[in-house]
Amino acid sequence: MDIFSDLFMGLSIAITPMNMLYLLIGAVVGMIVGVIPGFGPSAGLAILLPLTFGMEPVGAIMMLAAIYYGSMYGGTITSILLNTPGESATVASTFDGYPLAKKGRAGPALVMQAVASFVGGTVGVLLITVLAPMFSQVSRSFGPPEYFLLALMGLLTLIVMIGSNWKLGVISALIGLALGTVGVDLETGQGRYTFGSAELIGGIYFIPIAIGLFGLGELFYAFYTGMHRAGEGTLVDYRKETRFWPTAQDYLSTRWTMVRGSILGFVVGVIPGAGATIASLMAYSAERSLSKTPENFGKGEMAGLVAPETANNAASSGAMVPLLTLGIPGSASTAVLLAAFMLWGLRPGPLFMEQNSELAWGLIASMYLGNIILLVINIFAIPLFVQIVKVPYRMLGPCIVVICALGTFTVNASFIEVWLMMGAAIVGFFMRMYGFSPAALVLALVLGPLAEQALRQTLTISRGSFDIFFERSASLSIIAVTIGLVVLLPLMGRCGARAKAGKKIEG
Amino acid sequence: MTLHTDQIASRIKAGVLGMALAAPLALAGAAQAQTYPDPAQTLDWTIAFGPGGGNDIMARTIVEILNTYDLYPGNITLENRAGGSGAVGWGHLFGQAGSGYGISTTSGSFVTTPLQADLPWAPADFTPVALLATDDLVLVVAGDSEIQDIGQFIEFAKANPVNIGGTGTVNVDFIVPALFAQSAGFEFEYISFNSMADQTTALLSGAIDAMAGNPGEILGLIDSGDLRALAYSGNSTPEALAGVPTMAEAGHPIGVSMPRGLILPPDAPAEAQAFWIETMQRVVETPEWAAYIENNTLTPTFLFGEEFRTFLTETQNGFEEVLRSVGAIQ
Amino acid sequence: MRIVFLLAVLGGAIFYSYIAFFDLTFLTRTGRIGPGFFPRIVGATMIVMTLWAILDALRDRRAIAAGAAPGPNDTPPGIWRDAIILLVIVLCYAVLLRLFGGFVSTVIYLGVALFVFNPRRHLQNALIAVIFPGAVYLAFDRLLNANMPPALFTLPF
Repeated sequence: MDIFSDLFMGLSIAITPMNMLYLLIGAVVGMIVGVIPGFGPSAGLAILLPLTFGMEPVGAIMMLAAIYYGSMYGGTITSILLNTPGESATVASTFDGYPLAKKGRAGPALVMQAVASFVGGTVGVLLITVLAPMFSQVSRSFGPPEYFLLALMGLLTLIVMIGSNWKLGVISALIGLALGTVGVDLETGQGRYTFGSAELIGGIYFIPIAIGLFGLGELFYAFYTGMHRAGEGTLVDYRKETRFWPTAQDYLSTRWTMVRGSILGFVVGVIPGAGATIASLMAYSAERSLSKTPENFGKGEMAGLVAPETANNAASSGAMVPLLTLGIPGSASTAVLLAAFMLWGLRPGPLFMEQNSELAWGLIASMYLGNIILLVINIFAIPLFVQIVKVPYRMLGPCIVVICALGTFTVNASFIEVWLMMGAAIVGFFMRMYGFSPAALVLALVLGPLAEQALRQTLTISRGSFDIFFERSASLSIIAVTIGLVVLLPLMGRCGARAKAGKKIEG
Repeated sequence: MTLHTDQIASRIKAGVLGMALAAPLALAGAAQAQTYPDPAQTLDWTIAFGPGGGNDIMARTIVEILNTYDLYPGNITLENRAGGSGAVGWGHLFGQAGSGYGISTTSGSFVTTPLQADLPWAPADFTPVALLATDDLVLVVAGDSEIQDIGQFIEFAKANPVNIGGTGTVNVDFIVPALFAQSAGFEFEYISFNSMADQTTALLSGAIDAMAGNPGEILGLIDSGDLRALAYSGNSTPEALAGVPTMAEAGHPIGVSMPRGLILPPDAPAEAQAFWIETMQRVVETPEWAAYIENNTLTPTFLFGEEFRTFLTETQNGFEEVLRSVGAIQ
Repeated sequence: MRIVFLLAVLGGAIFYSYIAFFDLTFLTRTGRIGPGFFPRIVGATMIVMTLWAILDALRDRRAIAAGAAPGPNDTPPGIWRDAIILLVIVLCYAVLLRLFGGFVSTVIYLGVALFVFNPRRHLQNALIAVIFPGAVYLAFDRLLNANMPPALFTLPF
């Protein structure tokens, strides 16, 4: 097969001592920028970009790409240990990751996230290797009508996210939608809720809200419940900690979750503009609606951690497809990579992989190696990270505030965002206390603006007619899939429930 | 971690000096030394956007040229003061009024942000050094479109309702097609996207008929024939787009583009302005600058001093007029 | 307290809707969905839902007053005092950040927060309050070259 000779050539380029060193540096830096809340891959990439100017393009691009997917590994660590998402694509990992840690399973959760990340990342690269040209057709078939349908599909999954009290869940989602409308209206250029402030022109950024709602909000709640007054190692009750490694049950019960998460994540990642955040949130809600035990989600279900983790890593690989095959960056991070390509005088586009096959295949091959390196680093680093939770909460708590505040500031150097983060923390504290759903809020905040803009673009294009959704083959396929899922899933669920009920009667 | 050692040294120096100089610097303007530049003073270079963006790359390219050719005797600290679409960074420079040791590069937001937010400054308030290049746009259709050239496009647009995409509304992406359509006598619906990536996929998917975009990011797609370039909005077509007419050559001159230039704080000393005009005249002669222009598909356009200020005022007025007529700004 | 929070949400929803209805247009000039279309729907729905939730909360409260057991939606017991002290300290920290920049205000904030929550261990607290911000400063500012909050005023020490 041609692919294998290409891949082999790529490997021979990637495995030089210098390139491996760059790859290792990229992986470590990616881990670090991922771990620091707020400091995401795009900021990390952009800051390190100037340092690569004197380097060979192959090594430099391998390193930069490693920062990107490496951050997906690192971002989950604080999600699990502190309920503070390291970056936006790991928000969904807090939903079950943190409850797992609180149950005393921080070690297994961290190992599983590393394994899930590895599986997602590797399946993603495998799909690039084999099917990149096919998936580039997916990336180029997405226009506003398709984005609207995709966002709508995502918003439908809110139904499973809203929690036990549906009224409060709906209010949470509405708050997210409302926050999503802040900023300059894309279509008319008119300011909405900006009150003349330049900082709000670009809208309310997702990261401060997520850090506040989850990280700091949880901290206030922990102080409210008196976690800081208990003895040593109170974040996680270490007496309950039985073992560091995941059990066979953890692997077995999530093997299909990994497959589903990888594929869903990759496909969403391939779509420019959707990206790892949406992929991980969608994977989480999809997994929850498929699960036989949806009531355990949010209380420390391993599948609830594995699904978003495989998805965000697969999505970061998927995002390479439009970049390499079309020269279109699918996310802020790949946009920085594109800028790097252009700095070296490369011209990304459909001819890129032919004209620069050594570079392209070197990069793809390096992604296999990079994922292995990251898995190893993670496994070794986890015992170190687990120490964090042994620090008494009365000392750890005040330090988390510092990380949240400074981490938020670094993103856009904005004090308004720090205050916004703290406002979100207060809201998050009360939401946590009174049974609202912060998860529904962030999902609505991410998908609401996408849905609104795409719908308005679509209707402007079609001069107000909804027929456009049925005239485009890509839209039709999405509609078919959505209807299929909406009709089939409840049926499947009911069958499952009946089977379970049957078993109970028998037993 | 790797960090350039000289960078560390300059940053540490900046940290120590910054403490001592922060207060006096603002007051120093009136009593500024007669000879500019004073090598003992650190030049505070503001980048009004985050690292990796167009403005950032331009600033770092210039500083690298200054260092390579020893064009500036003192220390330079580059600081990304991002936030509020440039409002934070340029606001910082505005606050250094009277000083000759603050400097910043401009980009499109320098004109558009003041139109969208209540800011204490306008582009013309700053001491202009030079306009070095402009960002211009290329009008493209999908490669499988029947439209082969700009003449056919105008005919098509007169006969059919067309959708043209671009990034944002308070942006040159909207102004250029609007002015072009006005001149050529057709009407269109403008579809505003969040990013160049979104609008490019929308065009490839067949959802819109054409788009106005930055050529640099889509050259690969133009090369491969997936997109077809029809017209360029700048004064002269860049080499990479050889064969594509400018809008002026097509008979419809636009005269609006995004300024990439250099500014000093308001009321900076005349010596400082003169020094920087002279220095930039040397910078734009270097091969590094030529490479930067080519890699980013910019149009080299030079205006120095007051001419740059006039250009800024005119650009902003042009924007304001078009945007007000469509109701984007009040 | 749940009612107070819901009332705050209601206040926000009313303010949001007020702007949506009075400042933002429902349809554009060409008759397409305007900037105010979604905000009006979202705002109005939010008001209705919040009112409904407030009614629920009132009913629950009356039921509890009548002697019913607290349901799952009720406020869990906890230490209001500590949560509020932390909140106040954190808000002060936000103000300090603006005034004195990242490093100095973090030292002050950590010193105070640890003094309150980790009492009687002065040496330990002082060490954390200096070493932790130092490490963060090194990691952010030196290693990653990231933004740290700049100081508006520099302290005289």
